[in-house]
Amino acid sequence: MTVSTTDPRLLVHAYVDGELDPAHVLEMERQFASDPALAAELARVEALRRAIQEQLPSETAPAGLARRIESSLGLRREDPRALSHPSWRALAASVVLAVFLASGATWFALRPDPADTTADMIVASHMRALMAPQPIDVASSDRHTVKPWFNGRITEAPRVVDLADEGFPLIGGRIDVIGRAPVPTLVYRHRQHLISLSAVPAGRPTAAAAREIAGYNILSWSENGTVYSAVSDLAMPDLETFAKAFRAASAER
Amino acid sequence: MGSLSSEDDQARFRSVVLPHLAQAYALARWLTGDRADAEDVVQEACLRAFRGIGGFSGVNARAWLLTIVRHAAYTWLGKNRSGSLLMVDDLETVERQQASAGASPEQGPETPEAALIAKADAARLEAAIADLPVPFRETLVLRDVQGLDYREIAEVTNVPIGTVMSRLARARRRLIARLGTEEPGDAS
Repeated sequence: MTVSTTDPRLLVHAYVDGELDPAHVLEMERQFASDPALAAELARVEALRRAIQEQLPSETAPAGLARRIESSLGLRREDPRALSHPSWRALAASVVLAVFLASGATWFALRPDPADTTADMIVASHMRALMAPQPIDVASSDRHTVKPWFNGRITEAPRVVDLADEGFPLIGGRIDVIGRAPVPTLVYRHRQHLISLSAVPAGRPTAAAAREIAGYNILSWSENGTVYSAVSDLAMPDLETFAKAFRAASAER
Repeated sequence: MGSLSSEDDQARFRSVVLPHLAQAYALARWLTGDRADAEDVVQEACLRAFRGIGGFSGVNARAWLLTIVRHAAYTWLGKNRSGSLLMVDDLETVERQQASAGASPEQGPETPEAALIAKADAARLEAAIADLPVPFRETLVLRDVQGLDYREIAEVTNVPIGTVMSRLARARRRLIARLGTEEPGDAS
């Protein structure tokens, strides 16, 4: 973070919170060494932070809160305990289900399409990455760093291209697990948005497909036996621009 | 609204909101000071989140949900504890007056030893945090209890990052002054 204040008493907090850029960190460390009062303030702030972290355990939501919320919103609940209900209830439920199916409604959850499952897992990996402290395992905008990193970990490193000139700088890569197989994923940035590009080797060739899952756009295409899937919260036209840039760049090599 | 929610909205609500329910509840509890009230606030916030799920940008679900929880908590506080919502402007005026009178609560005569602060137990910490004015309390809780970074706190509390930093500093100095001067078990 770049901070505009120079008050060291204030910067102590940003220092403790890891919010200072490296130059300010060094500057603060020099001041701590030369100013005992400031060093004492640092010790107090750190002691307070530690006390809070050790003494105040993270809260858990009350039992059943999620269920109460779902029912108050009228959400249909996939309740696994329904299976252990008395058999007459299960029987009644199956009759209801049969009627429901017979009425022509689609019951999409019964038999997921394998391609859907893969797309779901790719989107889930992207979401998981956004929630993690770091969306990537190797952080680098240099494809000569990213590619060797993959080489040491999986049998087939993906093609790595940087698309900074096209407005999609490479920021790193990670390995996702899709259907029990490790899959290399490159991460690009476009403005404030991240794009995860997973390369599933030897995937079934699929026609290019664009869809939305859980609020994320996912765009898939096949190329030389590899199925690429780009996931992002970017609008679909932007994601298509990205895919086009990636294909064009990799065709050059 | 008015129409039935789509399957997509329901699935999205589950994947966006429910993973952060514990944090939503924690923030509501720190703001209302009561577990049952916190649950009401979270229920209301989830209703708002569900209605607004289509407007979620998809980037930071936790910050998005906590923003809604905070609004719901403020509505609740306005209805039930209007006294506790002392505006920050008033707060800052009070502090300036105290400072010019030479008695800022954050720069007391004591500069306690770090070791004394480190010994504070859960009950004293809880009580000290609960007594902080709301703007300071929420900033401190979001940072030190819930682990958000400055940028996320700025988003949730709708203030610039500089304000986050100064509120955090003041919240911590108040806690340090209190925990450093009061002996455990000393009900002052």
